[in-house]
Amino acid sequence: MIVILAIDALEYTLVEKYQCENLKQKYYGKTDISEFSEPRTMVLWSSFMTGENKEKEILKLGDKEMWNARFDIKETFFYNFQSPKIIDLPGFSYDKKIHEEERELLKAYFSTDSTEEKNKIRNDYNAHAFSHHREIKNQFLDAMKGDHDFLLGYFSIADVIGHLNFGNSLMMKMIYKDLDEIAKEIKQNHIVLSDHGMKAIGQFGDHSEYGFWSTSFKDLNNPKITDFSKIIVGMM
Amino acid sequence: MDEGYLKFVIVGHVDHGKSTLIGRLLYDTGSIPIEKVEEIKNICDSLGKQMEFGYVMDHLEEEREQGITIETTQTFFKTNKRNYVIIDAPGHVEFLKNMITGASQAEAAILIIDAEEGVREQTKRHAYILSMLGISQVIVVINKMDLISFDREKFESIKSDLLNFLKEIGITPSYIIPISAKEGDFVASKSANLPWYSGPTVLEALDSFIPKERSVKKPLRFAVQDVYNFDKRIVAGRVESGLLKKDQSITILPSGEKTKVKSIEEFLKTTEEAEPGKSTGLTTLDKLFVDRGNIIVDSDDMSYNVTTRFRASIFWMDKLPYKLGTPILLRCATQEVMCRVETILKLMDSSTLEVLVSDSGVIRNREAADVMIATDKEIVVDDFLDIPETGRFVLGKEVTVAGGIVKGGKI
Repeated sequence: MIVILAIDALEYTLVEKYQCENLKQKYYGKTDISEFSEPRTMVLWSSFMTGENKEKEILKLGDKEMWNARFDIKETFFYNFQSPKIIDLPGFSYDKKIHEEERELLKAYFSTDSTEEKNKIRNDYNAHAFSHHREIKNQFLDAMKGDHDFLLGYFSIADVIGHLNFGNSLMMKMIYKDLDEIAKEIKQNHIVLSDHGMKAIGQFGDHSEYGFWSTSFKDLNNPKITDFSKIIVGMM
Repeated sequence: MDEGYLKFVIVGHVDHGKSTLIGRLLYDTGSIPIEKVEEIKNICDSLGKQMEFGYVMDHLEEEREQGITIETTQTFFKTNKRNYVIIDAPGHVEFLKNMITGASQAEAAILIIDAEEGVREQTKRHAYILSMLGISQVIVVINKMDLISFDREKFESIKSDLLNFLKEIGITPSYIIPISAKEGDFVASKSANLPWYSGPTVLEALDSFIPKERSVKKPLRFAVQDVYNFDKRIVAGRVESGLLKKDQSITILPSGEKTKVKSIEEFLKTTEEAEPGKSTGLTTLDKLFVDRGNIIVDSDDMSYNVTTRFRASIFWMDKLPYKLGTPILLRCATQEVMCRVETILKLMDSSTLEVLVSDSGVIRNREAADVMIATDKEIVVDDFLDIPETGRFVLGKEVTVAGGIVKGGKI
């Protein structure tokens, strides 16, 4: 089984700062996403799974509709596998309702001026994200025991929590350490990959202009996100 | 209740639960805000985990980063008996460096060992450093007992392994305590999980230790910084240890000339005495030759050493290695003399504690060495364990290239 730990907004500098040795593996670095006009989640994961720059195609759908994009397995490198399992990946198998709820709460947070209301929304938003994270973590750890030849688990917690809580370094560290523990559970040959990282905008977090990668078998230098389909198929 | 404070360090393998123990000590003694504990607990709950006390340290780190806590390397808590200062030791090299250069002084130590993993190389290295620095009040804690179902046999086996090693390096631990820092067993309170253990908890063990004699009770060492001639001649300097008193009979070293303290002069006032750490001025009854770098001691005290050769442990921290016999500036309190490392008695890699071949006559970056130092002029030094202030020194002119501690004074 080849395993991909796909983590939204996993920030290179924080992986270093919090000494997440399992996320780092033997070789790790930044991905080059400079070919994209902005580090957008849906654009980057779509380009990852198809091996092609899908920015134009996704942006054409508009800010709201892009979240409904869903690629057929035949358009992705997952098609090379007999029994792939892809958990919650944007543009392929993600739970649209859950992520829509998160985006709604985020919108509500920035729409209100009331501090009290903001605190309440933040708590709901965080609780929602953590609950989803626990669910995905269970699914991922269970799937590793299955007989799939390919497994991808997409974890959005660092991105979702980061947007509203990036200034809370205790919370961010605890999340990174949890992701590191998940990486520790992977005994198979695997790649850790993020679409982009995150930088601080005051207490909040915004996407940074590079992603993170790590492997135990090869130094990939400064790969593009579209390079990974070939790299992963080459691992078969 | 108050017996002052005791400074201690927690050492051991990086994964054996040091920060969890610190977090637990702070939590059980009510030394961190309850809201912070709640916040950590809530995030742990949200991640589907048990409370992790190790994150208490991160909260402190965060405060330090934001400048809320001024002190950058020390953490505080108190028991009914006294206050405690935990000295942060991020790694053993830093610990050794801090101890030698005087940045921190531990009076006691807790050596932590994971009950599942037992004694590791790093455990041994850290124990060796405690021995080198003469820290004799040592508690060994065998942590994570919960992971081995509080098994007595396993505990006894680790204890026996460790005692064999500690004996070799001359450490006799005061206590060996089975604990679970995560669950709290035998940290602040006893626990029914360990019915076979009848010794003290970690806090009880710490409370039984004796703080090092404060330097106020030690012999006087007044380091002369300068001499000013106003309407009267004022000898300015710093009380490094002991008490400086009006009318005290004093000896100026290294000359050995004797006189009396006529007055202790402070800005716009005179005073009767000056405590350790105090920079002050004094006038003498007789007009003697006094200069920067002299050390003033009490005339009744004969504990000082005026010497041109002494034994020391030095820690080299410069990329450029030292070659035996090269003249180098030594600074100890306000004394500055040229010196040479005459002999390397023992040379050791501070990371591995591997004893290196000292025949090459070279001391490299991060190597620790037992050496004989010869100075060009007489110098006043004390054994580091007796008076650290005049028992430690640095080498190098503009850049400090090494730190050292005096071992055994006069030869």
